[in-house]
Amino acid sequence: MTLDSSPAPGPIVVALGSDARSLRLVHAGFRVARERGLPWVVAHVDAPGWETPEEADLARVWLQEAQELGAEALWLKGPTVVAGLLALARKRAPSLIVMGVTRARGPWDRLESSRVKEMLGRHLDVRILPIPLDSAPPAALAWRNLGDLAGIAAAVTVILAMAGLFAAALAQVLGFAALPAVFALALAFILHRWGRPVAAAATLASFALHGVLLHRPFLGEPASAWPRSVAFAAAVLGAQGLVDLVGQLRQETRLGRRREAETVLLMLLGRGLARCATARDVAEVLVRRLGSAFQAEAWVLLPAEGDAWDRLPGGDGAPPCAPPSELLPESGAGASREDPLEPFFEAPCSFVPLAGTGGTAGLLQIRPASGGRVPQERWGLLQAFAVQGSLALERIRAMETAHRVRIENETERMRSTLLGAVSHDLRTPLAAIQGAATSLLLPEGALPEASRRDLIVMIREESERLTRLLGNVLDLTRLESGIIRVRKEWQPLDEVVGSTLVRLERQGPVPVRVLMPDDLPPVPLDGGLMEQVLENLLVNARHHAGDGEVLLEAWAEPDSMELAVSDRGPGVRAGFHARVFEKFFRMPGQLRDGGAGLGLAICEAIVKAHGGSIWVEDREGGGARFRISLPQDAPPPLLSEPEPVPPEPVP
Amino acid sequence: MTNPLILIIEDEAPLRRFLVPTLSTQGYQVDVASTGAEGLALARSYNPDIILLDLGLPDRDGLEVLRDLRDWSRKPILVISARHQEKDKVGALDLGADDYLTKPFGAAELLARIRVALRHAVLPGRETPVLTFGSLCLDLEKREVAMDTVPVKLTPLEYRLLEALARRAGKVVTHAQLLNDVWGPTGEGQTHYLRIYMGTLRRKIEPDPTRPRYLLTEPSVGYRLNVD
Repeated sequence: MTLDSSPAPGPIVVALGSDARSLRLVHAGFRVARERGLPWVVAHVDAPGWETPEEADLARVWLQEAQELGAEALWLKGPTVVAGLLALARKRAPSLIVMGVTRARGPWDRLESSRVKEMLGRHLDVRILPIPLDSAPPAALAWRNLGDLAGIAAAVTVILAMAGLFAAALAQVLGFAALPAVFALALAFILHRWGRPVAAAATLASFALHGVLLHRPFLGEPASAWPRSVAFAAAVLGAQGLVDLVGQLRQETRLGRRREAETVLLMLLGRGLARCATARDVAEVLVRRLGSAFQAEAWVLLPAEGDAWDRLPGGDGAPPCAPPSELLPESGAGASREDPLEPFFEAPCSFVPLAGTGGTAGLLQIRPASGGRVPQERWGLLQAFAVQGSLALERIRAMETAHRVRIENETERMRSTLLGAVSHDLRTPLAAIQGAATSLLLPEGALPEASRRDLIVMIREESERLTRLLGNVLDLTRLESGIIRVRKEWQPLDEVVGSTLVRLERQGPVPVRVLMPDDLPPVPLDGGLMEQVLENLLVNARHHAGDGEVLLEAWAEPDSMELAVSDRGPGVRAGFHARVFEKFFRMPGQLRDGGAGLGLAICEAIVKAHGGSIWVEDREGGGARFRISLPQDAPPPLLSEPEPVPPEPVP
Repeated sequence: MTNPLILIIEDEAPLRRFLVPTLSTQGYQVDVASTGAEGLALARSYNPDIILLDLGLPDRDGLEVLRDLRDWSRKPILVISARHQEKDKVGALDLGADDYLTKPFGAAELLARIRVALRHAVLPGRETPVLTFGSLCLDLEKREVAMDTVPVKLTPLEYRLLEALARRAGKVVTHAQLLNDVWGPTGEGQTHYLRIYMGTLRRKIEPDPTRPRYLLTEPSVGYRLNVD
């Protein structure tokens, strides 16, 4: 092992196996890469005859998981695992290789840990970080083709020949009784290594060999064949029993490993589902996890309008088969079946209902890449996926319901406050109007002409007040619910100020002094809405200032347009500077003088919708000073062009 | 000249009760329709001098009625709209309505608008090359503008803008109409240019640009050259 001394450190390489515990290697690699701030590569070497297709599938899942953690995933081919890793190490010059090691228990278990030794033996300029996996021994190699068969036949022949020679040598010392034991040992090994068919053939061969040996004269006087053959058969049977036992243990280990892998798959699914906020997210996670766990195309069908399913992900590809009528939403999506979770097979797809406590939330549709149906031994996993998916969908539905209920409560509360406040403010002017009108209708001559005129003026004033109040309530409701959209347009501020003042002056003289530089740049704002802000502020100021002069100022800052409306009234009492912008807020102890306490709330809503801010401060020398700051984040449009054609600068 | 005939197309009874006596006592002849179909029929039969049209009718969209009327009549049409119908208001003006009133409105405002509309209806026939509005004087032939007989120097764009408003003095001219008049088809949607040029025009013409007397803003709709 040489120390990592290269100036530019190479990536962290994780040599990934297909064991469920290989996920530990991924996580170890992730941690190391994060600690050192290096890129990391996760590589799986696909060496011939090393792993079963099922294990290769699992390795693909781990690679995908590593990719999600930010690793570069590589699927390499090589004559052996070590050769593949060495080739990668030469190409990428990694600063560290993360490898799994297992505790060696028998000659066959040394295989995994020996890889680390083999790598170390190559004197690479790289460090190796061994991660203990403590895994079960690798599964038996299965012979898959004729080439393998020839190799096996040769190996078996050699083993039997050696066993024959050894048995002959032993028989000379111990007599014929030793022969069955030696052959049984050899056959047990063959059975363990290559399985029953090969062992059966080997048994026949060794029986013949045994028979030959029995009649060799150099082994002493020929023994009678019968009892010897019986002893031979007993020994072979005993060996077979032993091998079966080992095989069973091994089968259980394999099942255990598969269960472990399934647990990890479910853990990954659960982690993915926990982050979902919408039904669409859930469907996407389910589809991705199903796809990698089952090597299949998958879809999630969610109930749509009417009696149909929404298929997620939409996508293109060949149209997958439709779900059977038994599983349609109208027939309860298979709820009437004995086991609602039993997969339903309709070539070439399988369907599993997403059945939860509140009925069926949808269907899982899966089409294995290999064709055919999902094997029965994997139904458990498929159902676990379905259950997790339906729970996630239920959680989202419950969340949505809770959210809706909260909004409804909020709306209801707001509506009743509004109604309470408004009904009082409506009743006052209505009472005045009704009173005045009925007085005017009294028999002729009861009222002097001057009083009649007074009453008529009052009717006009009160109806104007009603109009204003109603307008304010409507505006605020629309602003808060987002019905009114702010349509910003570049415009000179003096236009907005001018049209506000002209409108106010129609109702009577307005003692407003305007301080505005001539070269004020245009601002992006909604003229109609901002006019309302100014009007509310000016009316407010006039109301509180009495006959005192109101000052309206505007000036430009580098990134904003600043406005101020100041009066010489009593000002805002300490502690109420923020509250004056609340809806229906009135200064305690102040006369109810027509305002419903909505004007400033509307100002705030409009200014906020412009992305600006509004506040009130104490004016120097007494009085209130309302301040508005409007952002001016983009430069105003240029006017030097002969023809105006540029796109709207403000959305 | 006989008293002008006013046709009111309005479905709300209280408003009719207010409009009919108000207008009759001012010496106008008044005809009333409560639906769009009835209004169109009456308009065809009597060819009124001015039409008051409510945009919120029970049977037909007010804008459709307006389009039908404008197919054959050039008589002034005054649109009455409820609050928060800015879009309809602009649509009505673009379709050829002469002016609009927002509910609720007072009698004085209504009568003033009717007077302007009737006067304007007579104007185009005898167009004079020199228009005068208070101290503002506009010579359409020489393309010259004067304020209190002092010449005002305007850029060509500013002059075109002022002329477009002056040709429809007293009437609301929408943003779209002004953009089309001054900039042509390329001006469509470029309201900010209009606003900015209006700002410079105001500084040259208005004695106090923050309290305009001539170039009035109709919020979210357009501009109006004040003739009072």
